[in-house]
This record gives sequence, structure tokens and C-alpha cells, in this order.
Amino acid sequence: MVREEIQARILEIFRNSFEIEDPGLDDDLRDIHGFDSIDGIELLREIEIMLDTELTREEKENAMEVRTINQILDYIQLLASQRGRN
Amino acid sequence: MKETNLQSVAGPARILPDLLITLMLWLYFTAGFLLFFAVFYLAALLFSKQRETAFQKLNQLFFKGLFRLMRMLMPWRTLLVQTKVKTVRSAVIVCNHLSYLDPLLLMALFPRHKTIVKSSLFSIPIFGQMLVCSGYMPSDAGGKHTDILVRQMDSMNAFLAAGGNLFIFPEGTRSRSGRLGNFNKGAFKIAKKQRAPIAVFYIDNTDTLFQPGRFLFNTCGRTTITVELLDLILPDSEHTSASVSQMMDTARNLIETRRQSRATEQALGGLAREGYQSL
Repeated sequence: MVREEIQARILEIFRNSFEIEDPGLDDDLRDIHGFDSIDGIELLREIEIMLDTELTREEKENAMEVRTINQILDYIQLLASQRGRN
Repeated sequence: MKETNLQSVAGPARILPDLLITLMLWLYFTAGFLLFFAVFYLAALLFSKQRETAFQKLNQLFFKGLFRLMRMLMPWRTLLVQTKVKTVRSAVIVCNHLSYLDPLLLMALFPRHKTIVKSSLFSIPIFGQMLVCSGYMPSDAGGKHTDILVRQMDSMNAFLAAGGNLFIFPEGTRSRSGRLGNFNKGAFKIAKKQRAPIAVFYIDNTDTLFQPGRFLFNTCGRTTITVELLDLILPDSEHTSASVSQMMDTARNLIETRRQSRATEQALGGLAREGYQSL
């Protein structure tokens, strides 16, 4: 899955599920857009659906540390590569 | 009106009854818990197949006991709950926040309840475990809290469907001025996701009994503590879809309007008690 594809899907999720329109790729989502833990949990579910895999507890804990769209994209690419889905 | 009550018996004469009653209430919290409740909590922990439900019920009984004791110790203080409050089920309850007593009051009202608790409290030995066993959620994810939050969010749909209520104080912290603070969106996001009705509650005067920043209960004054259901904001249908921000603004306006009208009521001599009952 290429980064542009992932980015398009993530932005769609942000628009539809979190009511956040076109956030900047390096915006601090928490500070600028009010993205909170509840949203974070929801995003984890969406990532699991996107990758068609269940995340481990450690992966979920690490995912909660990300703050920007770019970091989310990096993290999804890392998870995909670990699962052999480059 | 509130300030008048608080200041009317100010001074050393107020300290002694405040101190005595505070000690008795703390005695209930400590010795009362150990003597009358600890064994039931232990039994629920070890043997109950529905541990969360059992813990929530025990929490309700424990805090009901606390408010009954308060009524015995301070019969001049009245606690009235609007009758329809107790009929609320399967809802996300949002409420203004004036005092540490507010969450205890809501726990005392509903046998099946969950709430969001400050994350740091989950790290306190035993107490933190009790919060987890009760199905309460940490306010922030991160570290070990992520797993708790994920599990609780996963089971939220079934919890609400079984008649449970999730109550949240969207201001996040107690109001020190009596004015309504800014709202966080979390409660409204959960309600929208779960398609659950939002029950908007208004609590009044708990801060006159246990003020922010004061260790002792304020036993003087004759104010009436009330819990009211202002409205139900129903989940959106296929045809109408309110945004999280719109639902939040609606709830905030309801609470703010009631806060102002309640101040007027108190200035005019108090609350009409029709439609209210004791806890």
C-alpha cells in the first residue's frame, strides 16, 4: 500500500469519523483539532480494518503516542511492512 | 444566595460542627468500607461472573449509604432528585461539575453506571484496581491505560444496550466559580458513535456542602442540593445527523440556561418541590 493511498484513506476517516476536515500533515492533532483518546481508539480500529489484522497491545500503546498525520502514516507503513504488506 | 449561605456562619463557631461531621463521614469511608463492604467487594472479585456489574452495584450501595448518613447528620440540608432522573437508562449522561460529591451522587443514583476517571488515579494501589473492576475508564490513553480504554470502548455498546448509563462531566474539572467551563467533546463523540441518547443533567449546590479547595464539609446553611434531567438529546437517524459540536452546544446551552434560571429561582425563594424525591 503506497503512502498516498494510505493518506487518502486516513484523511477520509478524519473527515467522516472525527469531523476534522483536511488537517495539515504536521498539525498537532490534539492541540489544533481536539483529537483525543476516544478518537485514538477509534482510529486504531480503522487501522486494523485497513490492514486487515489485529494490533497487539504494545502496538496499540505505541500508536497512542503519535501526534500528527505524518506520524500516523509512518506508523501504518511500519505496521504494514512488519506484516509483509509493502 | 449561595455566597450568603456560605458566609452567614463563618468563623470559629463553624469549624467544630464541620470538623465533627467531616470526621464521621471519613469514618464511613474508611472503617465503614472495611466493616460492611470490603467482604462483598472481595466476594465479587473472586466469585462473580459479572464482576463489573457487581462492583457498580456495590459502589451504588456504598455511596447511597454515604448520602443517607449525610442526611442523618445534616437534616437541615436537603437532597432532591427529579423523579424522571432515575428513569434514565442506556444513555450518555452529561452534567455540570461543582464538587467532588457530583460523581458520588451519580454513582448513588444508578446501579449500572460507568464514568471517566482521571488517569493518574488508576495508578493508586487497590483503588486503581477497584476502578478497573468497576469498568471505569481512564481520561487519557497511553501506556497501560490504552488497553483499559480499548476494552471499555469495545464493551460500551453492550453495556448501554443492557441499560447502563455512562456519565461524564464534559468540563473535565470542577467549576471554582459556579460558572460553566469549556466542554470537551469526548462524551458527545461516544454518544454519536454508540447512537445513544444524551441525557443532560443539572446538579446544583453540591459545592455549598463540599467546596473545591476546602477539606471540611460545610455543614451550615439550608441550601437544597438538586439533580435534574434537563432534556434528552436523541441519537441521529438516517435522515438527520447532528455534528458532535452541535450536540455539545445544545447540551451546554441547556445547562447554562438552567444555571441562570436556578439562580433566579433561589433569589425568589427556592425550588418548587413537585416532581422531586429524596435519593
